[in-house]
Amino acid sequence: MRLSFFLLLSLFLVSCSEEDVNSGYEAIVENDTLSIEIPDYFPEVTYNFEANPPTEKGFELGKKLFYDGKLSSDGVVSCGFCHIQDFSFTHHTHIVSHGVNGALGTRNAQPLQNMIFMNEFTWDGAAESLDAQPIIPITAEVEMNESFSNIIDKLQADEEYPQLFAEAFENGEVNTDNMLKAISQFLVMMVSADSKYDKILKNEGSQFTAEEEAGKVLFDQKCATCHAGVLFTDQSCRNNGLPIDPEYDDEGRSRVTGLQADKYKFKVPSLRNIQITYPYMHDGRFQTLAQVLDHYDSGMVVTENLDPVFQQNENLGISLTEDEKQKIIAFLETLTDDNFLLDDRFAEF
Amino acid sequence: MKKWWLLFVVLGFVGCSEDSDDQASSQEFTEVTLQFQNQIEGENVVLNSETYVNSEETYEIETLRYIISNIVLIAENGEEFAYPQAESYFVVNEENEASKSIILENIPIQNYEAIRFGLGVDQSNYPLNGVNNFVPTAEENNMLWSWSAGYIFLHFEGNYTSATENDHLFAYHIGSHGQALDNYKEVTLDFQNTLALDSSNSIAITSDVSKIFEAEFSLSLEEIDDIQVDPEYSPQVMANFSQSFSTQQ
Repeated sequence: MRLSFFLLLSLFLVSCSEEDVNSGYEAIVENDTLSIEIPDYFPEVTYNFEANPPTEKGFELGKKLFYDGKLSSDGVVSCGFCHIQDFSFTHHTHIVSHGVNGALGTRNAQPLQNMIFMNEFTWDGAAESLDAQPIIPITAEVEMNESFSNIIDKLQADEEYPQLFAEAFENGEVNTDNMLKAISQFLVMMVSADSKYDKILKNEGSQFTAEEEAGKVLFDQKCATCHAGVLFTDQSCRNNGLPIDPEYDDEGRSRVTGLQADKYKFKVPSLRNIQITYPYMHDGRFQTLAQVLDHYDSGMVVTENLDPVFQQNENLGISLTEDEKQKIIAFLETLTDDNFLLDDRFAEF
Repeated sequence: MKKWWLLFVVLGFVGCSEDSDDQASSQEFTEVTLQFQNQIEGENVVLNSETYVNSEETYEIETLRYIISNIVLIAENGEEFAYPQAESYFVVNEENEASKSIILENIPIQNYEAIRFGLGVDQSNYPLNGVNNFVPTAEENNMLWSWSAGYIFLHFEGNYTSATENDHLFAYHIGSHGQALDNYKEVTLDFQNTLALDSSNSIAITSDVSKIFEAEFSLSLEEIDDIQVDPEYSPQVMANFSQSFSTQQ
């Protein structure tokens, strides 16, 4: 009796309160199993855990779907094809995403991490919710090129999936809603919050080196306007002065909003695990962080809607000496979270 | 101890559930068909052959599809019966007769005064309430944008002839623009005669399609024949379209 009482109490709290999610290390205890550790200095969770609480079975199903080529028209290209855990779920040798039959996309695969704190998804905010985001790569001709009707048919005919859906969801149905919920249950668990930077914030005995510390000071002065807070993004879309690549002529956020004022704006990416998520920028044009900083220092061009933050001085961009660049990179490397990159829970094999 | 336990159950339900209205055990249920008719000048629309007039231009319609959602029947006493949201997404496709009859099951038998429904998908509820089960239907009807996770609420295409264009394509693909612009609309239609449900019921709902061009706003194809992610014109199309509905009930 006492046990039931506690179970109900915790269910009630979880399902109706969102504030509790963030307080200290308090775990998100969902209907039966999974909890997420979130440091107390992280921002509010945006994901609606009430509508889709992660469970052990849902997570495992989501993981299987994430790594399954059945979600694509050629049976090969899975989500994990472009989102490789070792690189914080990006792809190193591909500048832009590769799809079925060797098709090439136009944008660079973004890392998958800390998605429960994000307001919009993809480089231009074309997905408002994590649960809907996979619709884009799954149906895009140059990515997975598959229809949901086909996928559901394949999953229903599969030897294993019907049982896995039955275990993961109360209504047990193999349908799109449950499929996307399961993928979300896998993705929401991907919280990267254990880098050296975090260990220092948590007072776990780590310390910045002199170079990293100097880099942090420079970063806070010169980069943190956009790469703000502990997620290192203010989640806005901005034009950061990249020369327009005529091959793609990617208009960025204006494709979503239709607003001329959003032309050439892309989402400010988080910098967590940035050291290992190359290539950089929406089109993967830079291979190294040094090239990125060179761009901000001296590579910018004035294009429509260039962010005013880069036009404050006589010189365009952010002036940086070679020494300063090196220090900033040293600081950025403290954002690499090996425990996340090697976390067995997310590993394909 | 037992009492406390119960209290929590009750709290849990009250706090989290919004449609926990008790149904009297004697309540009976029935099926209701919403019969959509797309008309212009009182005649059913004929795709690809009939020519229609909008101000100084003429047009033929090739594609006419729209999303109906969140259907609510409003009873005499003001009580609202909301059709279960997860089941409440439909595409009305002029090419497909069956799609124009939306069959609602398990409707409580009582007297209704009005109906309310959504055009498109309510942005604030996108990811929730089973809406993703609508993805395959939306996909089969070309009501999804390929580059966006949003839905096309109104898919309206054809050809037009004006002073300067001859048999030129037009395309209206209207939906919401991410979080930047919400084009979801709700339509409430009062019944002229109280709908007393019995065993078989049908509510005829007509869309006067010409109002897409001419209602609150006057739209000219010659001026703009391609309206998709367009923050200026897409809300005008949806405002007009939402005013196109009426019921003979």
